[in-house]
Amino acid sequence: MIEFDVSTTAEGIGVVVPRGRLNMVSARQLKERLDELVSAGTTRIVVDMAETTFLDSSGLGALIAGLKAARQAGGDLRVARPTEAVMTVFRLTNLDKVLRPRDDVEGAFGA
Amino acid sequence: MPDPTPSEERLELSAPATPEMLDLVHEVLQRLWVARPDVGEPDRVRFEMAVIEVLGNIVEHAYELERPGGERRFDVSLCAGGDDLVATFGDNGVPAALDLSDVTMPGEDAESGRGLALTAAVVDDLAYERVGDRNHWRLVCHRHDG
Repeated sequence: MIEFDVSTTAEGIGVVVPRGRLNMVSARQLKERLDELVSAGTTRIVVDMAETTFLDSSGLGALIAGLKAARQAGGDLRVARPTEAVMTVFRLTNLDKVLRPRDDVEGAFGA
Repeated sequence: MPDPTPSEERLELSAPATPEMLDLVHEVLQRLWVARPDVGEPDRVRFEMAVIEVLGNIVEHAYELERPGGERRFDVSLCAGGDDLVATFGDNGVPAALDLSDVTMPGEDAESGRGLALTAAVVDDLAYERVGDRNHWRLVCHRHDG
């Protein structure tokens, strides 16, 4: 089971908060949320993973797809506050270097 | 006196091979950890990751060749023992075309193809076998919390 909070900051940054497990089912939903944001012109996106308790390869695929879509539209996607379970998956797949998790949501697009 | 090393705990489930069943297996794993609180968090994370990846693979294969009238099902047995965490899977999907001796992590911008590489990275043993019209998978994580 998962819920997604989607909001936009005053600076126009989209913040997506997946609460629960990101697996094959919820990865599709995440990809749709990210696509919707980029299509609507919100190309700077932070995925706040502080409440993501599980991540599998399909969840990773959705993050990479979102990253590519955001960059193609001139923006970027950043990951903030990954849980230890999420960080383990990033390290095992060498994606920690690509997704470069940030310590907080507010500073994810900071200087 | 209670036995300080409880015997193995085994939970089994048989269900249609649909993505929605993944959440059910997550819940079964939660029950396993309640029954075996001695299993450490890093071992739980590794085992859950491997179980869900293999199951995801089974579900994807079940979807590939949807045939009318034939329901795709899987069964899974999850077992926590004193030394190992063991999962065995059976399904009636199409044969998995894969070479477990040659599983590599795809490039960083790939959107799929990491599942089995991720599984191979966290398990101590992973085996696949086609027997008759069924696929059999078995994965083992040695416990490191002892």
